[in-house]
Amino acid sequence: MEGNPGGDAGNGSTVLLIGNPNVGKSMLFNRLTGVNAVVSNYPGTTVDFTRGTLIMHKKTYEIIDVPGTYSLEAKDLAEEVAIKMLNEHRDGVVVVVLDATLIERGMYLLFEVIERGFSLVVALNMMDVAHDKQIAVDARRLQQILGVPVVPMTAISGEGVKDLIDILRKACVTDVMGIKSRLSGDAAETPAISGCTGCGRC
Amino acid sequence: MGLSEDERWALIDEISRQTVKSGGYKQTLGDVLGELTVKPLTGIPVAIGVLYAFWSIFGSFAGALMTDGFMVKFFDRYLLPWIQGMWPDPGTWLYFIFVGDPVADNCFEAFGVLTSGLFVAIGVVLPAVLIFYLMMTVLEDSGYLPRLAVLMDTFLHKIGLHGYAIVPTILGLGCNVPAVTATRILETRKQRFIMMTLLAIFVPCGAQIGIMLKAIPDTIGWVFLYLLIGYGIFGFVLNKVIPGSNPEILIDVPPYHLPAWENVAKKMWNRTKGFLKEAVPFVLFGVLIVNLLYLGGVIQWLSDALAPLFVYWFGVPKETTGPLIAAFLRKDLAVAQLAVIPMTAYQMISSVVLVSIYFPCVATFVVMLKEGWKELVAAVGVLICVVFLYGGLIHLIGILLGVA
Repeated sequence: MEGNPGGDAGNGSTVLLIGNPNVGKSMLFNRLTGVNAVVSNYPGTTVDFTRGTLIMHKKTYEIIDVPGTYSLEAKDLAEEVAIKMLNEHRDGVVVVVLDATLIERGMYLLFEVIERGFSLVVALNMMDVAHDKQIAVDARRLQQILGVPVVPMTAISGEGVKDLIDILRKACVTDVMGIKSRLSGDAAETPAISGCTGCGRC
Repeated sequence: MGLSEDERWALIDEISRQTVKSGGYKQTLGDVLGELTVKPLTGIPVAIGVLYAFWSIFGSFAGALMTDGFMVKFFDRYLLPWIQGMWPDPGTWLYFIFVGDPVADNCFEAFGVLTSGLFVAIGVVLPAVLIFYLMMTVLEDSGYLPRLAVLMDTFLHKIGLHGYAIVPTILGLGCNVPAVTATRILETRKQRFIMMTLLAIFVPCGAQIGIMLKAIPDTIGWVFLYLLIGYGIFGFVLNKVIPGSNPEILIDVPPYHLPAWENVAKKMWNRTKGFLKEAVPFVLFGVLIVNLLYLGGVIQWLSDALAPLFVYWFGVPKETTGPLIAAFLRKDLAVAQLAVIPMTAYQMISSVVLVSIYFPCVATFVVMLKEGWKELVAAVGVLICVVFLYGGLIHLIGILLGVA
């Protein structure tokens, strides 16, 4: 299914929710689409993908809830489904959902998605739990380093979901070289970040 | 493109160093509970307590309160006499199919589409499924399931699975259909095959449990014991026989949180809707088919033909043939049919166990086919062996105990 011509190609109307197991992808999916994907508090609830639609600014997005995976090397069938979905939607927008209390773990998958050249947005989910655990994540700095929009949110209460929807069309591709240089503080690579609330085009 | 694993982790370390600040770690109530429910010394008593609570709430709500307290009275005192009186000409085959026995005084014995069919689906199974799903949702959403998985890991490794196999098993107690799909979280084909086969054979679904609770309340414990022992024995054997690996896994244990009632309600509604849409028509259709087969003399012929096998090998009355045919459509229906066949308590236990293990219901069959036809064929092969061996073994135990 590589190089799917026409259809959803190019206009980025397919949105894939990708992330580690149990970071709240299905909850976010339900918030975005109103479709009822099964949500539970254990990793591996979603073993197959679920589709739904979101209509925003007269644009219809097809949202796909993908089974959770730790990496893009499949360990079980559910992860194989995830990888297959990514391969089938090379020109879709990927929302990488991170658990704000465990962003290191989620970032491994994030990097694999970045390296494959997907256009993406990062949803920093479970901000409520992070707050309770006194973990502070600097979303703006993270956005600046990564060069893609980062939206802090709490899917379970719905906080930040609207921001995520608004930012979907600003999803963009980033590259590892840029991230490395911004990380080491070469300011030349980061123009126009100040005053920006997250278009990601920086 | 093409970072190595180490390079990725190095980058991640640096990014999180620059963006994440953690305050001092404070132990929360949830953390303490989390510890207590995972350590074997405290965890096992907690697990037994949880399962016991699960069972007693299930029994008192579904069995005593809803079914006996309301549904049985409604169906037996009002609906049954009303239908028996209203439907014309008790001698006709239409009457036999839709109303059943004209002199029956309860909905178990009447066995018509509109009497027993509705009674089994709405009167007995629906309340059971409702309360079962409510409690299962709480188990799922609170975060207890993965902890149970940690506790069960040692045992499940002995039967070729790992702790996480508890998830499909518990889902299977609700309905085997989503449970078969949930086997995808297991890593190797061997594990998936063992799990699917054990599910299809030894894990009774919620509907079936509900009707067992109503039909055989005194001996249901024995049925469960036999199923559990079978799950252990045949899991152990399959593990030895089937090639493939059973790797250790790291289980990701999420923090406890209170289930959001909105999500609980949504899930309950979806599952109940699923039940009403898929199971109820099957029960009614099942009664129809079975009655047609009775009318056509097919069941009589089959039970005569299979009589030696049933009577001498399994030690159950030959009339159990009818229920075994119904069991392919719906197991709850089959148990309801068994309940009215006169037999000894031990024969009842044996035949209910046979109904449970003999074949997955048609819906389960279809999802298993979707997961792979080779697996399905192999699972059916295993199943046939298991039915013969285990059915015979149960009979033998009965003989040795002097109760068969």
